[in-house]
Amino acid sequence: MSDLDSSDSESVDSDTQLQQDFSSGKLKPGLNVALPASIEKHYINDVAGMKCKLEELKSNLDWIERLDTTSDPAPAQPGTDIQGGDDIHNDFRREMLFYRQAQATVLTAIPKLHKMGIKTKRPEDYFAQMAKTDDHMKRVRERLLHKQLSIEKSEKAKKLRELRKYGKKVQQEVLLKRQKDKKEMMEAVKKYRKGQKNKLDFLDDLDKPASKQQGGKQKDKKEFRSNKKREYKNKKFGFGGQKKRGKQNTSDSARDMSDFNPRVNQKRPGQKVKKTTQNRPGKSRRQNIKNRKR
Amino acid sequence: MAKKKRTRADVEKEEKASQKENDVHLPTTISSDEPLPKIKKWINKERVLVFSSRGVSYRARHLMKDLRTLMPHSKAESKMDKKDQLFVVNEICEMKNCNKCIFFEAKKRKDLYMWIANAPRGPSAKFLVENVHTMLELKMTGNCLKGSRPLLSFDKNFDTEPHWNLLKELFIQIFSTPNYHPKSQPFYDNVYTFSIHDNRIWFRNYQILEEDGSLAEIGPRFVLNPIRMFSGSFGGPTLYQNPTYVSPNEYRRSLKQKVAMKYINKLNAKQSRKDRYLPDSYKMDPTDEVFVTIRPEDAKGADKNTFYRVT
Repeated sequence: MSDLDSSDSESVDSDTQLQQDFSSGKLKPGLNVALPASIEKHYINDVAGMKCKLEELKSNLDWIERLDTTSDPAPAQPGTDIQGGDDIHNDFRREMLFYRQAQATVLTAIPKLHKMGIKTKRPEDYFAQMAKTDDHMKRVRERLLHKQLSIEKSEKAKKLRELRKYGKKVQQEVLLKRQKDKKEMMEAVKKYRKGQKNKLDFLDDLDKPASKQQGGKQKDKKEFRSNKKREYKNKKFGFGGQKKRGKQNTSDSARDMSDFNPRVNQKRPGQKVKKTTQNRPGKSRRQNIKNRKR
Repeated sequence: MAKKKRTRADVEKEEKASQKENDVHLPTTISSDEPLPKIKKWINKERVLVFSSRGVSYRARHLMKDLRTLMPHSKAESKMDKKDQLFVVNEICEMKNCNKCIFFEAKKRKDLYMWIANAPRGPSAKFLVENVHTMLELKMTGNCLKGSRPLLSFDKNFDTEPHWNLLKELFIQIFSTPNYHPKSQPFYDNVYTFSIHDNRIWFRNYQILEEDGSLAEIGPRFVLNPIRMFSGSFGGPTLYQNPTYVSPNEYRRSLKQKVAMKYINKLNAKQSRKDRYLPDSYKMDPTDEVFVTIRPEDAKGADKNTFYRVT
């Protein structure tokens, strides 16, 4: 509490002082200038110190102890080098640079080692612990295989898709061709018919306009043809009349015994339906036969 | 401890002693059964302490493990408490008989810093570690002998500036496996590459498949963004400070600010529109129009209801 009080009194003091300053003219608007936001930060770069440290750090050991090389990236393989663009933000190109640098090192350092009479390659029968375990390497190989397989699969699927597309095209062409053929055939038939008609006309009567008129009438008659589709639909769904009570029982429907087959429906339980060996034709057929005989 | 100044007499004494040493007194008879004096082959007694602070992420831990497996001259140490001061690392190095150190420092459970130091006398450098990929990743297909001595490949940029120069020397001394190190293998089947791009050091490790230059990556891979270099080990006067370095905290803040700016911009746009388009373009006196009448024939729209002829 005492702290708060003291701070309050301080602030009041400063306020009063500010007021006094303002009245005396010491304080003017615009006198308080904000410091520039970004003060130039000073970065240390002690070149002399670093050189001194480097001298101190350096050990005069042979190259064989250090095995370091400084090298530019090796010349790129033709085809992998793509000019232009940013090297750092293009993953592939950046990795390629590192790879080539390592390559250059290998190409300089290994011969150097050979010259010193040092074997670099491990004999085939030299077995030792590896940095990665066999189990891990197995997993790596599995992954590679899996990747390869998936690539193959996708390629296959792509090919199939292409083929399907092509097949569809072919089928369409075939259909179109068939249609065209049909049309041509129909036209030929029509022509033939027309030719016949003309002939007939020519044979029947010389009065051309009359025949023309007749032809026109015939055409009209031809045009008035009941639609097959419509007919079928009418048959299926019904046309005209009341549809409401169509499925209700009526006296007629109750009296209808057409479905009743006494041989099947009046048999005793357990009795087998006898198949009549003589196929006696039905009543109407028999009568027909009788009539024919007469 | 003040060193005693060497007097001339001392120097003369030493010279004599050395002369005595140089004069080889061969024994009069040498038996052929006597074992040959052992030639010391393992000269370079570099040891690197590789360890981390508490609170490192799994990825950093794996990276540390990878470095330990790749460097037979490395030593391990249990994780250091965060509360300990960094210069304690020097004492740990001394206890472990190490003269080089790689120390991973984790902050906020997501930022990884790496210290490399020449233990008692410096220099040391602090890096931010970015883009870590460990050896465990399955896309790295290479493999090498555990403890085979790596070739070190450096970018030409390492010779351009003094700080890169110093770092190069440090890297060489830390990452090169000493010749004839008892845990090392006598064959050469991997290359470490250090290259500078974008003011950062990119580390890669390749297996040498064939000696004509076909390689396969082993891992790990990481990017070191230098922050500071000190003349001491884990302290001392600063030698170099990276002017392009942006701390991850600041970077995250800037990202957040960008998002915040979107909202602020929207608010500003709304306000400015409000300011630009006034509710009425010209102040009119509503009483001016009191006596204006229109003929009912000329009335349009809603006025039709107002102006109509009484029949």
